[in-house]
Amino acid sequence: MKILFYTGKGGVGKSTMAASAAWQLSQKSRVLIVSLDPAHNLGDIFCVSLNGKEKKMHDRLVLREVDLHKLSRDYLEREIGVLTRTYSYLQTLNLDRYFSVLKYSPGIEEYALLTSIEETIRKDGSNFDTIIFDTPPTGLTLRFLALPQITITWIDRLAQIRRQILDKRHTIQKIRGPATDEEKKQEIKLAYDEKDDPVLNRLMALKGNYESLTGILQGPDCGVVLVFNPDMLSLRESERLVEGLRDINLPLRLLIQNKVSEENRAVAGQVVAELRKMVGDIPLLQVALSTQLACGLDSILYEIPENLVTNLNWRR
Amino acid sequence: MQGFGQGQREKVLSLTCMEQQELENVFALLLLGSFVGFPAPPTFLAVELLPFMEREMQILGQRAEDACDMLGQMMGTLGVD
Repeated sequence: MKILFYTGKGGVGKSTMAASAAWQLSQKSRVLIVSLDPAHNLGDIFCVSLNGKEKKMHDRLVLREVDLHKLSRDYLEREIGVLTRTYSYLQTLNLDRYFSVLKYSPGIEEYALLTSIEETIRKDGSNFDTIIFDTPPTGLTLRFLALPQITITWIDRLAQIRRQILDKRHTIQKIRGPATDEEKKQEIKLAYDEKDDPVLNRLMALKGNYESLTGILQGPDCGVVLVFNPDMLSLRESERLVEGLRDINLPLRLLIQNKVSEENRAVAGQVVAELRKMVGDIPLLQVALSTQLACGLDSILYEIPENLVTNLNWRR
Repeated sequence: MQGFGQGQREKVLSLTCMEQQELENVFALLLLGSFVGFPAPPTFLAVELLPFMEREMQILGQRAEDACDMLGQMMGTLGVD
């Protein structure tokens, strides 16, 4: 199974390119295309109504829109449920409702996005040959793609402190010696063995999840496709994206320059030359400025003449 | 002699307990620091661990309460009357 992320500045045609590639790939293999962009266009491109759900276009093509707000809400409700159960005594004082403010915490949306990617790969990986993710604009995309690695760094630090705490508890236990029966009744039992400590166990479980996700994202079956236009703004943002991807070690597989026309061909060449300095010899595909809209509102946006598929067969 | 040994043992114990509580305090502060304006780990990490952090949060609260008498606390730890 291959995993593709279509990234780029807002408005360059990421969704259209992703949709067209999905359409072309689905002629021969099973494809799932997932829109992670909060401003969903996927339904519009295929002229269907998705409303945060999924739809089967034909036997080998499934479209899905991720409802980010719903995802964040579900995740937090689950966590708040656990919290309220753990601190159930707070219910008597009616303080549990204060936990609900967690839904306004920053970072929750990125986490919800990442969870959704991880779930999609885990659950649908075996049902499809290719999973295409249409991503939100650059900033958010880089943040959530970097999230597993940032989180692993934090987990390592926290686990280190946690181990020190457990070590101290162990020392205390040794100095104190076995407790008498009377003491045993009064004492609060604290875990000092690594396998008994719920905090360390949870940290290690999370670390395992993130490491496997990072492994998949950096692996030979995953790739990022960069879509850009023949203009300066799009070039600058693409450069930042390339740098960001390099920092988090994600493989860039294909460049697509969209909206190329006779008028902007010279600028297009300059933009490509600039970008080439950064990315080397990654395959480039130029897609002509679409004149389809001129045919009327019922034109088929996902059927573009260029072949978007050949370059996606990188050597594994 | 046995009493002396016991006394020393208690002293070491209380110091180690103190050290452990400080570590737990640091752990909670690192994890929940975003609530008081510290640079913090991704929020969801705090949310994931929060259910198991009752003790650490109590220590954190206690530390905040004792903050105005840090000198007294230090003297207590060092056994200065």
